[in-house]
Amino acid sequence: MQYQSSLDRAGLEQLAIHNYFGNVDKKDLEAVLNCFCDNAMITVQTAFTTHAGKGEIRRMFEDFMGAYKTIIHKDFTCTIDESNGRITACFTAELEDHEGNWTTLNNTNFWRIRGDKFQEVYIYMSGENPLV
Amino acid sequence: MTSVPYEYYVDIVTKRYFHGVDNHDMDLVLDCFHDDATLTEVTSMTIHEGRNAGIRTMFEGLFDAHKRIWHGNFVHTADVASEAICSQFSVEVTPNDADSELRYENCNRFYLKEGKFSRVFVYMSGENLLK
Repeated sequence: MQYQSSLDRAGLEQLAIHNYFGNVDKKDLEAVLNCFCDNAMITVQTAFTTHAGKGEIRRMFEDFMGAYKTIIHKDFTCTIDESNGRITACFTAELEDHEGNWTTLNNTNFWRIRGDKFQEVYIYMSGENPLV
Repeated sequence: MTSVPYEYYVDIVTKRYFHGVDNHDMDLVLDCFHDDATLTEVTSMTIHEGRNAGIRTMFEGLFDAHKRIWHGNFVHTADVASEAICSQFSVEVTPNDADSELRYENCNRFYLKEGKFSRVFVYMSGENLLK
């Protein structure tokens, strides 16, 4: 599906890296959910797991934010297709659980934007899926 | 060299690289890469170095092991400013020693210099085929 995006190059990067990942790392659930359209879909493609609609996405992030004491996303490399409302980023995710164990993942996200929010998000992970 | 246009990125990925892979055309595939390119399968952290060394060997193994390879259903994020294209796609393969078809939902990140692949990163949804 091709969507109409209202964001320019800087706006796409602001949404994906700062509004989204910045608030995931702060565990600001409402700010994270505000990045998504109501009927958005997030798919962890490497695990064939899909969460459809803000209700399911909220539940996924509640579990994810509860499972980890520390969440860090960093070292982003962005690829931005402004004319088609798409942005991709590869990054490192560092997760510390409540026992002090760290997990490091090298992931890639694809975002498709409708208006000024995410309509579809696809995640490709280097390791086991923590977004269950 | 002046920067190549948007459509060049889509064309090298679909009409040259994956067309070459699907048709077992080694020369067409390797011509997309710089001599010192690397291809990394991220989900298993397997790194293939050099167009005529590790990358050629990897494709020889892929072509020898499969009688049918198909890539399609592409969605691209192409970025002229950063000389990169990231592509999502489906893959169907039929191994030589079986009639059953395997299907994957994969993505690749291609980073180019002067119109050829410098670094390629592959994420696979299932078992790594690019050994």
